[in-house]
Amino acid sequence: MARIVVDPVTRIEGHLRIEATVEDGVITDAYSAGTMVRGFEKILKGRDPRDAWAFTERACGVCTTVHALASVRTVEDALGISVPRNAELIRNLMFCTQMVQDHVVHFYHLHALDWVDVVSCLSADPKETSRIAKSISPWPKTSPAYFAAVQNRLKTFVESGQLGIFANGYWGHPAYKLPAEVNLLAVAHYLEALEWQKELVKIHAIFGGKNPHPNYLVGGVPCSINTEEVGTINTERLNHVGSLINEAITFVEQVYIPDLLAVAPFYLDWASVGGGLPNYLCYGDLPTKSYAEIDSFKFPRGAILDRNLAEVHEVNGRDAEEIKEYVAHSWYRYERGDEAGLHPWDGETEFDYTGPKPPYEQLDVEGKYSWLKTPRWKDHPMEVGPLSRMLVAYASGHTDVQELVNETLGRLDAPVTALFSTLGRTAARGLETKLVVHWMKEFYDALIANVKAGQTRTFNDEKWDPSTWPATAEGVGMTEAPRGALAHWIRISGGKIDNYQLVVPTTWNGSPRDAKGRRSAFEASLIGTPVANIDQPLEILRTIHSFDPCIACAVHLYDPDGKHVHQVNVC
Amino acid sequence: MTRESGTTIIGIGNLLMGDEGVGVHVIRHLERTAPPPPGTEYLDGGTGGLHLLEPLQARTRTVIIDATADGRPPGTVRRLTPRFSSDYPATLTAHDIGLKDLLDAAYILGDPPDVTLFAVSITLPSKLGTELSDPIAAVVPGMAERVLNELD
Repeated sequence: MARIVVDPVTRIEGHLRIEATVEDGVITDAYSAGTMVRGFEKILKGRDPRDAWAFTERACGVCTTVHALASVRTVEDALGISVPRNAELIRNLMFCTQMVQDHVVHFYHLHALDWVDVVSCLSADPKETSRIAKSISPWPKTSPAYFAAVQNRLKTFVESGQLGIFANGYWGHPAYKLPAEVNLLAVAHYLEALEWQKELVKIHAIFGGKNPHPNYLVGGVPCSINTEEVGTINTERLNHVGSLINEAITFVEQVYIPDLLAVAPFYLDWASVGGGLPNYLCYGDLPTKSYAEIDSFKFPRGAILDRNLAEVHEVNGRDAEEIKEYVAHSWYRYERGDEAGLHPWDGETEFDYTGPKPPYEQLDVEGKYSWLKTPRWKDHPMEVGPLSRMLVAYASGHTDVQELVNETLGRLDAPVTALFSTLGRTAARGLETKLVVHWMKEFYDALIANVKAGQTRTFNDEKWDPSTWPATAEGVGMTEAPRGALAHWIRISGGKIDNYQLVVPTTWNGSPRDAKGRRSAFEASLIGTPVANIDQPLEILRTIHSFDPCIACAVHLYDPDGKHVHQVNVC
Repeated sequence: MTRESGTTIIGIGNLLMGDEGVGVHVIRHLERTAPPPPGTEYLDGGTGGLHLLEPLQARTRTVIIDATADGRPPGTVRRLTPRFSSDYPATLTAHDIGLKDLLDAAYILGDPPDVTLFAVSITLPSKLGTELSDPIAAVVPGMAERVLNELD
């Protein structure tokens, strides 16, 4: 029996530690720990609720826009504010921009290197890569000379001894199955995706004034539309957004999806590994009418239990009995006792570090062992993220999702149960990107139609003035970050923030066990995962990366050296 | 790739994490006290990760201000010209794909930027909050001046 420690897990946002027990080449137990603390809920107390978005969007450099969205929605929910239709559409466009950019970046820059051996592509035949590329996509950059140039550039880079973004890989590991030529194709697209993503995110700056921290506004969006006027959202800027969306559709359909479908057949054994929890939660988003009309969401809200796709349960963020956070194994102290489960409106953020003094070899997993709290929905541990979104939409009868999922499963000759896996999670992310990039075009067309019809209102100022507010109010703002369900809860008293709590996706997925000893998603998904070589636990990275962890907003980094600790204790 | 001539000045850091946000504080100080000279842009880069690749390549020159926990007395400012990520001092960004990786990415893309880095030494753990500690707050105006002097 061996105990493997991966700390930090690389190619994620933030700082995550995984400890796993391996017996006869298979993981039999696992612990997931956020080892760095934050708690900026405290910073928000006493502030103006209308400013909260500007602080929450600093929680993370990746999910800036969805934290701001959740924040303005929670204030609007508390005060009963509805936003103009154009504001809803612009928020949807911001949301879609982030999701598409983030999923592409995750696939190529954070996750692909678990499946693609970068060093192997140095020995690829560029002619054969060109033939493969032409066979899977009409994308124009496919000549042998192009792939040879990429290969040469990479050779120079590796020979300079500067592995940089390709450092910390387990290159040469036997679990890499792709031919060298497919590896070269993937690395070429890794570089193209870097260039492409920086164009798409300009949409954030167009509507939000700046990036990476765009502006939001309680009651609408902080940009005015005037087709003629410089300095507003004018015809030129709207046309720019339109062309960026068209380019995004082309990139997703001609690069991302073909690559995903080219790589997947080499890794079909991962369609029966990493399933983990049988419960899936989605808050939903992308209203096609208003945010109050949940039935109009492109991503429907709901929960699935025990993988029963015949039933979708309703989810209510305001119900004190549904979503609760526990700290039985988390370094926090609850005033009413650590066994309690607190709805976020009553949430507390008091630190109580009882772990070993770093550096340490092993966490005391019988006691508290993580800075993440443990959220539960109606007492169930839930997985959140692309797979949950696709399953809830599929089970809710959304035909565009059903058709795409069924068609893809057919192409890979895989049963529906293949979705409940590491590969299923990665495939679901690709499929929803394809859906979202087209929905984005629909939202854009609707916005243009409104503007042409003379509807340019983007802000509802009815309840902007605090004198119009009730003495106390409670709100919840729910959305879907790229990596899963995200919500903020607020209590307002006397015009100021009395309590503010964030429950972020990686808290659902990466949290420690609850008081009953039940695992959350990361820990559950690792059970049964094979590990060929305990000195190079590539398989752990594959499954953990399939969730696209983002610990940055769940915890905070205090390791200035960014050192990669990988330790194996054989006991 | 075509770049505009001029300089982008990017302040990096997390505004919620006290001294770690010093880069952003310098940008805010510049915005308050000196309109950007012609061909110059001030950017609050936050902890923007890959979002910063575009601004990093937008102009012929980039000046970055960031915090570092390199063991030097708090408030020490060093001027560096890093080329690869390994030339970069210990940073505080919570992102595995951070600024250092952007430099490498730009290099692989065949278009490495001309980067000047001002690294401000801080001590850890920095206090949670939006305010700087006294020794760090004291260097902000001087930093802003040094950055502007770079443009001459």
